[in-house]
Amino acid sequence: MGLGLLASRAMRPLKYSNSRVFIRSIVSKPELQSPEASSAAAATALEPDLPPRSPVGGARVHFPNPEDAIEVFVDGYPLKIPKGFTVLQACEVAGVDIPRFCYHSRLSIAGNCRMCLVEVEKSPKPVASCAMPALPGMKIKTDTPLAKKAREGVMEFLLMNHPLDCPICDQGGECDLQDQSMAFGSDRGRFTEMKRSVVDKNLGPLVKTVMTRSSVPHNFWLNRCVRFATEVAGVQDLGMLGRGSGEEIGTYVEKLMTSELSGNVIDICPVGALTSKPFAFKARNWELKGTETIDVTDAVGSNIRIDSRGPEVMRILPRLNEDINEEWISDKTRFCYDGLKRQRLNDPMIRGVDGRFKAVNWRDALAVVAEVMLQAKPEEIVGIAGRLSDAESMMALKDFLNRMGSNNVWCEGTGAQPNADLRSGYIMNTSISGLEKADCFLLVGTQPRVEAAMVNARIRKTVRANNAKVGYIGPATDLNYDHQHLGTGPKTLLEIAEGRHPFFSAISNAKNPVIIVGAGLFERKDKDAIFSTVEAIAKKGNVIRPDWNGLNVLLLNAAQAAALDLGLVPESSNSIESAKFVYLMGADDVDLEKLPNDAFVVYQGHHGDHGVYRANVILPASAFSEKEGTYENTEGCTQQTLPAVPTVGDARDDWKIIRALSEVAGMRLPYDTIGGIRSRIRTVAPNLLHVDEREPATLGPSLKPEIKSEMDLTPFGSAVENFYMTDSITRASKTMAQCSAMLLKK
Amino acid sequence: MRAVRSTHPANLFLPRVVCGRGTKSVASLLLSLELVENASSSRGQASSRDSSSNPSISSGISIFLHCPELCKHLDSPDNNPDLPWKFSDTNKEKVKEILSHYPSNYKQSAVIPLLDLAQQQHGGWLPVSAMNEVAKIIEVAPIRVYEVATFYSMFNRSKVGKYHLLVCGTTPCMVRGSREIEDALLKHLGVKRNEVTKDGLFSVGEMECMGCCVNAPMITVADYSNGSEGYTYNYYEDVTPKRVIEIVEMLRRGEKLPPGTQNPKRIKSGPEGGNTTLLSEPKPPPCRDLDAC
Amino acid sequence: MAMKSALKSIRERGLGSFLRELKEEGFLRALLDGNLMQTKLHNRGATLVGVDKFGNKYYQKLDEQFGRHRWVEYAEKSRYNASQVPPEWHGWLHCMTDHTGDELLMLKPKRYGLEHRENLSGEGEEFIYHSKGHFLNPEQRDWSRYQPWEPSKKE
Repeated sequence: MGLGLLASRAMRPLKYSNSRVFIRSIVSKPELQSPEASSAAAATALEPDLPPRSPVGGARVHFPNPEDAIEVFVDGYPLKIPKGFTVLQACEVAGVDIPRFCYHSRLSIAGNCRMCLVEVEKSPKPVASCAMPALPGMKIKTDTPLAKKAREGVMEFLLMNHPLDCPICDQGGECDLQDQSMAFGSDRGRFTEMKRSVVDKNLGPLVKTVMTRSSVPHNFWLNRCVRFATEVAGVQDLGMLGRGSGEEIGTYVEKLMTSELSGNVIDICPVGALTSKPFAFKARNWELKGTETIDVTDAVGSNIRIDSRGPEVMRILPRLNEDINEEWISDKTRFCYDGLKRQRLNDPMIRGVDGRFKAVNWRDALAVVAEVMLQAKPEEIVGIAGRLSDAESMMALKDFLNRMGSNNVWCEGTGAQPNADLRSGYIMNTSISGLEKADCFLLVGTQPRVEAAMVNARIRKTVRANNAKVGYIGPATDLNYDHQHLGTGPKTLLEIAEGRHPFFSAISNAKNPVIIVGAGLFERKDKDAIFSTVEAIAKKGNVIRPDWNGLNVLLLNAAQAAALDLGLVPESSNSIESAKFVYLMGADDVDLEKLPNDAFVVYQGHHGDHGVYRANVILPASAFSEKEGTYENTEGCTQQTLPAVPTVGDARDDWKIIRALSEVAGMRLPYDTIGGIRSRIRTVAPNLLHVDEREPATLGPSLKPEIKSEMDLTPFGSAVENFYMTDSITRASKTMAQCSAMLLKK
Repeated sequence: MRAVRSTHPANLFLPRVVCGRGTKSVASLLLSLELVENASSSRGQASSRDSSSNPSISSGISIFLHCPELCKHLDSPDNNPDLPWKFSDTNKEKVKEILSHYPSNYKQSAVIPLLDLAQQQHGGWLPVSAMNEVAKIIEVAPIRVYEVATFYSMFNRSKVGKYHLLVCGTTPCMVRGSREIEDALLKHLGVKRNEVTKDGLFSVGEMECMGCCVNAPMITVADYSNGSEGYTYNYYEDVTPKRVIEIVEMLRRGEKLPPGTQNPKRIKSGPEGGNTTLLSEPKPPPCRDLDAC
Repeated sequence: MAMKSALKSIRERGLGSFLRELKEEGFLRALLDGNLMQTKLHNRGATLVGVDKFGNKYYQKLDEQFGRHRWVEYAEKSRYNASQVPPEWHGWLHCMTDHTGDELLMLKPKRYGLEHRENLSGEGEEFIYHSKGHFLNPEQRDWSRYQPWEPSKKE
């Protein structure tokens, strides 16, 4: 877009050189001195044949109240914007990109970098557009000599104390300061004094600080990271210490940044003061190939861009998606990538009689698996999909085992008797962005901060914006926003359901109450009773209305929603005890204790994790960064991954392995391409083909049969013990191991 | 080389040391010393200068590390977050009084008065646990209090003497000889700037203009010897190198001396020896009849 | 004149030490090595400008034809080559500068850099350079970008 925009700007004077537009863009001195004359010139320039401008970045203007629209003029273009917009936002709508450092659309306005100065008619001085509300009839000029000179002067001040170390700076090539000093800065500097230097801080294993690079006068921009930490991440660790030229960003006392969103300060820092520690000095950004894909380390499905060089994933960056992750991602998502390079399974292996694994070729491995499988009785065959499985492979696994006569296929983490009948019973019905409308939260057995950090950030945003009340039932935890810890177990839940608890009135008085139930409860025996209690609260508290559905389940794993959509439900709850043949498709956290000793276990996956130690045959598969796969996130939004790097060694995509195995076993599956599988999925769960769309559940819980069972009064446990290590990729990651060693110790 | 030992407190981000009247950065000083060393060793000359220069540099760096204006807390036995710190009972009343000045939802406005009170109670300086206590009282994150405490130079974050002597170093006082006054104080007390005397009674610091330029040069004595009840903060103006030493000795003996100008011939900020102009009654302005209004 | 000084030194230090000196100075080898002999003859009447840290001697004789007025007598008498001249003397020897190596060493304090090593090509297997990926390189680099799981650990 950037090039196209530049080109169109360059073209414009040529195209309209005979019209008054071209003449008007050169503002001469007399016009500046007499505002009447220039306004008259601007008025005459308002002609309908002005070339249309499109807003920066395709920004949409939403008018909450049509009467509140005001008209302003940006470089002479008339423009309708809602009241309360700043001058900078007005310019963006007009298609003019104003340079800025301290301003960030998701943070509070600081107005201290002065880079966004524009000229406003009848204003004696240039105006900081990010902090100035647009007023009706304002005439904003963004490319006058005055504005240009102001920016150049600001740029010179900003560069005063900035070191000239771009060649050794990791931000080089993607640095706002570099770009803007090229575009708006002077071609020479007048600063001959010594530059300031600042001692670097230790912020933990993820964020590297080069504080000297932030030592611009008054630390103008770094303020962004302080504001991010305080406002979005909810950790008040960073502050601006000292004054004048001695001012610096720091923590004062020795402290690490203990936030699960700390990696975002790397993106938010417009200079190279905060860079990624694992990525430090590994690559330049122009060497990297970006692949727009999604994250699978939790059930949120954050939109990410995998930057790779050759066969190697170099880093992971967030992608903008207002409905899911806005523009943040959690540290686990961002820094787990070194797990993709360690402990990889790269050859099919068979465990010999001596108990050692031996690498074999695919033909032999599949032949052995098929032979054992055909000898087992159909009801003794069990298939378990892992938490990172995509919908296609789960479909293939289910189809294959069904053809073998077995119906014992499920996805780990969904419990013994998952409820896959009512879609509203396992997705977030409010949707993640819908949480912002809520004004009262009840969290039942879920700790969103560790289970789904992006959902937690959304709840925090809501708590800050609407002063929403949060009640939490579960083991004591720190949720980085104000919350009432109501209790630890079903007892409190029962009290609320019977209206005895004071928080019940908060729910029933709220306009848009939200109840979030954790998927960790799926593993409990009394889950049906808990869910019916929650539904009772929802019914009494008017949580589900035609225009508002506030009853949510927060899933834990990327595969869960799609698995339940596809109906991966075990036929009997104790099938493991009698199994003779177990097919683990990346399932590492299944309890195999009760498995008979003579059972034959096939592990198909990408990491040598818990699952392989019981396996008899290992089939190497590709990880999420290496395959095209469909995932459904916790709010029911279907998204697809794209391959960023080639698979390692002899590994193959999951569904291809199952397809090949089915042929060896003589039960050929009828699809040969990913398109073929998807048309099969269409017959089971058509919503999995509507990519990037959220499919709300059509039926509410009212259709559910009444369940009469007692709740077990043992308190809720925490579903995620270690935020940084939840699946085989993150458990293989060194960075994540460092994080859990340094940040989780209390 | 003597001058190397006295660190200028205001310039710590480029670690600077005062060399005579000019300042020079440590980096350039180290460089020049290295060259001296190089040259002397390569020529095989006597290294008496090396042996004298090395300790002075290391002491300069250690002063830099414990510099009072460093924006970083360094744990020490008498200053670490684990030490308990509470306002005394009488000061708790004052805290309540201070908080009553502000709306209950803007408690954080009380941060500066509370820090000041804490500093008076704690003998003139703020340990990190006192700042944590203030943060707890006004219900903000501790970093917000650290921000304020590091911003204002009036909050001392390292130990000071019971009598903290602050010499004004701004231009009018400097022209009238504030440097000689500081030198005299430092020499008399045998300390460096921002260092506390062995008996813990005195420390000397520098501050910026206190608005007494008409009576320059001046020093300020912050008296923390009697806690927050007997806390005084007095200006002594028109001082001379001789007079400041007398003031120090009087303070040491516990004598009271009147603040203000130390020149017996002046009354407050009036001219020496009485007024010389404007001796008559001022005339009313000729243009307007005041009685008619 | 040369004979006279030789006789004088024999008289002073004895014949044995004279002969040992002759051998160490390479005069015996000079009988077989014309190049060395030429240098030795050349040295007569030249001024010894300096000796570097390896023991190479640098001579200058301004009466000579320009371009032949500076030369080196290598410390190594049997196996000598131009790469034995350290960088600080290279410039003087090739008339790039009139500063001798000793002067250059004094002018510029040495901060970093490797010690000068002569070129040992052809002196044996261990001196052959193998690239990072060469299998003869004992520190051969592993170019695989991932680390496979090793099935060594038994349960």
